[in-house]
Amino acid sequence: MKKTALMFFPAFDWSLGETHPEREERLLYTQEQLFEEGVMDLPQIVQLNPTVAPLQAVCRAQALFPGPEAHDLEAHRIAAGSALVMGDAWAKKEIHNGFALVRPPGHHAGAVVRGNRGFCTLNNEAILINHLRSRYGYQRIAVIDTDVHHGDGTQNIFYHDPQVLFISLHQDGRTLYPGSGFAEEKGGPNAWGQTLNIPLPPGTGDEGYHYILENWVLPRVQAFQPQVIINSAGQDNHYSDPLARMNVTARGYGKITELLQPHIAVLEGGYSIESALPYVNLAILLALAGEDYSQVREPKGPQRAPVQFEAFKRYYQELRSQEEKAKANWTKRRVASLLDQEWVSDAYSVYYDTEGFQEARQEYIRPCAHCGGTVVIMSKLPPDETVSTLIRIPFQACDPCAQTGLELWQLLTEKSGAKHGSEAVLLQNQNSDEILLWQRAKGVTRF
Amino acid sequence: MALRIGIDVGGTFTDAVLVDNGVIAAATKVSTPADVNTLLPTVLEALEALRVTDITQVEQITVSTTLMTNAILQNRLTKSELYLIPGYGMKLDALPWPVPYQAFKGQLDFRGREVEALDPADIEQQARRLTREGSLPCAAIVGKFSHRNNAQELTFDQILRKNAPGIQTTLGHRWGGANFYRRALTAYLNMAGQELFAAFASELTRAIREKGYEAPVYVLKADGGVLPLEEVRPVDTIYSGPAASVLGALALAEETADSYLVIDVGGTTTDMGLVLGQVPLLSAKGAKIGGFLTQIRSLAVRSLPLGGDSVVELRRGAVEIQPYREGTPYCLGGPKLTPTDAMCYLQIIDFGDPKKAEEALMEQLRADGGAAAEAEARGLAQDILKAMTKKILAAMTDLEKEWREEPAYKIWQVLHPQRREQFPIWLSGGPAPGLVRELSEQSRRAVKISRQAGFANAAGAALARPAFSRTLHMDTVVGRYRIEETGEQGAWQGSKRARGEAERLIEEIMRKETIKRELEPDDWQKDEFDYFPVVDGYRMAGQIVRGSWSMPSGIIGRVKR
Ligand SMILES: [Zn+2]
Ligand SMILES: [Zn+2]
Repeated sequence: MKKTALMFFPAFDWSLGETHPEREERLLYTQEQLFEEGVMDLPQIVQLNPTVAPLQAVCRAQALFPGPEAHDLEAHRIAAGSALVMGDAWAKKEIHNGFALVRPPGHHAGAVVRGNRGFCTLNNEAILINHLRSRYGYQRIAVIDTDVHHGDGTQNIFYHDPQVLFISLHQDGRTLYPGSGFAEEKGGPNAWGQTLNIPLPPGTGDEGYHYILENWVLPRVQAFQPQVIINSAGQDNHYSDPLARMNVTARGYGKITELLQPHIAVLEGGYSIESALPYVNLAILLALAGEDYSQVREPKGPQRAPVQFEAFKRYYQELRSQEEKAKANWTKRRVASLLDQEWVSDAYSVYYDTEGFQEARQEYIRPCAHCGGTVVIMSKLPPDETVSTLIRIPFQACDPCAQTGLELWQLLTEKSGAKHGSEAVLLQNQNSDEILLWQRAKGVTRF
Repeated sequence: MALRIGIDVGGTFTDAVLVDNGVIAAATKVSTPADVNTLLPTVLEALEALRVTDITQVEQITVSTTLMTNAILQNRLTKSELYLIPGYGMKLDALPWPVPYQAFKGQLDFRGREVEALDPADIEQQARRLTREGSLPCAAIVGKFSHRNNAQELTFDQILRKNAPGIQTTLGHRWGGANFYRRALTAYLNMAGQELFAAFASELTRAIREKGYEAPVYVLKADGGVLPLEEVRPVDTIYSGPAASVLGALALAEETADSYLVIDVGGTTTDMGLVLGQVPLLSAKGAKIGGFLTQIRSLAVRSLPLGGDSVVELRRGAVEIQPYREGTPYCLGGPKLTPTDAMCYLQIIDFGDPKKAEEALMEQLRADGGAAAEAEARGLAQDILKAMTKKILAAMTDLEKEWREEPAYKIWQVLHPQRREQFPIWLSGGPAPGLVRELSEQSRRAVKISRQAGFANAAGAALARPAFSRTLHMDTVVGRYRIEETGEQGAWQGSKRARGEAERLIEEIMRKETIKRELEPDDWQKDEFDYFPVVDGYRMAGQIVRGSWSMPSGIIGRVKR
């Protein structure tokens, strides 16, 4: 029998504040609904138990500066650890698929972590994906983010990674947090086209959503031939969501799951904790378990009509041609301080809304036709000029890229005494699975 | 302490003990006949055999009976209707229903608020059909989320009774945990077992009274607690055998032992359970019996169809222990080779005829086409005990795993996992002495055995105390509370933030029960309450409260050597 795993970790003793959307109550009614329906008694359902994600797994995907100890990680590490337990069960073929129904969420947490943003600190899916790659050798992973918000953290982590296809469907960034995820964002110089952003108009509804999946997302996923399919299953597309306006129903979510056939679905956002979550979670779990979800109905139906379908199809055609027309436009330049090699560079800032501060990042990518290319991200929190640096040597790195990364690690940690030297440097050597953190005060920690 | 009597109806023997101030003053064993109709005479025969003289001094008689377990497993229940109010959600037939049901209109949501009303006409029509057909069976009525709000079940019941006078009903909300499917099957079993159990209870009480006993008659439940025969819900008495084993170990174990595994090896079955800090571990899930998943609270136990009388066969040199018995062991005049014969031959037990045991071993060796000399017989006997022990240890590991891997829903639980401890083993039951060495060798654990190993279950029943827990679920916004174990529900008129008030409510409920059962409140185990803030918009509207206090199962006094 094909087994479907449920990892239910509602973190009943954790919140970001008594009335914060990310509070103890969030999965309370979901628990009541799932338990009352008796889903745990379905013969194909197995329940898994959470554990704490090791820091090695965390730092293989994300750089927590100035170091992991500076962050409040307890709940986040359990959510990430839950995803890992499920990943292991899947990779060992103990389960056919599974749903990590865990909180807190993670898809807004990026390659560098300076704090909590969009309720996320650790990226549960990214930690899972890099764990599956390093432990089991998978080389083609697709992540489809169906949260109503752009999965900017996940995109950020895999933007330069040609082995990961990242697709995000979300309400248009011009009308919703975090304001990114436009069709032109298609990936870094070594991974162009491995990111697909599909911003949708408010009111898209079940029909429009399924249409996009069938006509755009699924063909793209099939062409990539992923070995693993992960779904960031946010539930804020639901018509009752207080923040967004996408008009999707619980049954609509069941169909989304049925179409995507993810191996592992991980809960992301969704804060309509009474009107949506109990029903959406039930529909997703039933769809994964191959059960009929057509009788899952919310007590109150949608109050608004979805956008007119013909108009939606025109929107889709335009968006698609816009995406196709977007061309890569990268300039290489020699950077004296980075071994005097050629790099593509990019500067951007990241806003941490939970605590209200800005991070400035300077990113360098080593252009490479043979691998994902070494990536360097220098992070600071203005007006403070102190820099923390992430050096990432990608999975299956070519020799020159690996060499460059190691030399940079030497260089940056040795020059530590210099005036503008780094406060902390994380070497994320995914290629040889060596995760080293150097901190000015402590020296090197090996994870 | 005055006299207490415990009677344990096992698959092979029915045991009875008389405990006089912590000393087993008398113990008897009569065989349990295969015919279930002789259950009552068997119990009475065991009681009679105790030859109690001070009948008036007996303060309690406790029976542990297989009546409900066997009635369910052998499909000897009364036919009952099963009426469901499922509403929307998972399809009903996603789960296997071992009995037919009928679904009716109506729906509640997860906080017990009505989404769709009942359709009285539907229920009236059903009632009229029953009346017309002239059969007035009994019915279990179960609604989804009825554990949160019993209103629809109560209304349904009222309409049904009014239109089909005389019908007997059981309502699902009396088993108060969340799980519609299990609640439905539990209510069904309770309804379907009612007649059988009531008949047994009244006949047993009458017979005991006729013998001159005035003591109340108690019955042991799956959760290790006891209740007066007339108060107990019939289904709650399933699996009282394993519960008696665990309590028996508590009664006979040394005072110093704190946590240990209990293994009770009988003739037909081997039962095991876990005692943690002197308290038997309860299972996180309801019991499963036959094709029925239930909400019946039970101890975390394992029951193997493996015992001293199990039939042993040798096939191509491999020992196979069959999950059944065919009478007594060969060395006691039975027809087949059994583990008891192996023990007898190896002279590690002091009953049975070693010559006959040897005969049985040799015969199996020859039948398997092998050499049949003393060395082989000895080897075979040892192999049998090894195979039996291996099976017992596998179930034991599984039981410990269930305990360690209970789902964690809080950060605190994940950060404080159950200890990976090697619990010592407390062994009881007739064939127990024969397994001590093999068990301690294979498990590498300390194995202790009781001197009165053969009467552990009956002693456990005799000394079992009433155990109960009261789990409060309160929604101060909706304004309702309920008690999971009893299905009691009520309106909550206290504060929206009920910290303190909720504890006082449960304390009051616990106190009443404690006084009624003549126990001491000192023994209460008070778990920390959970308070979930309920937010409406961006404002705190109230709380959902969960918490549990209990009088854990256990024993009154202890058996002295
Ligand atoms: Zn979201
Ligand atoms: Zn390269």
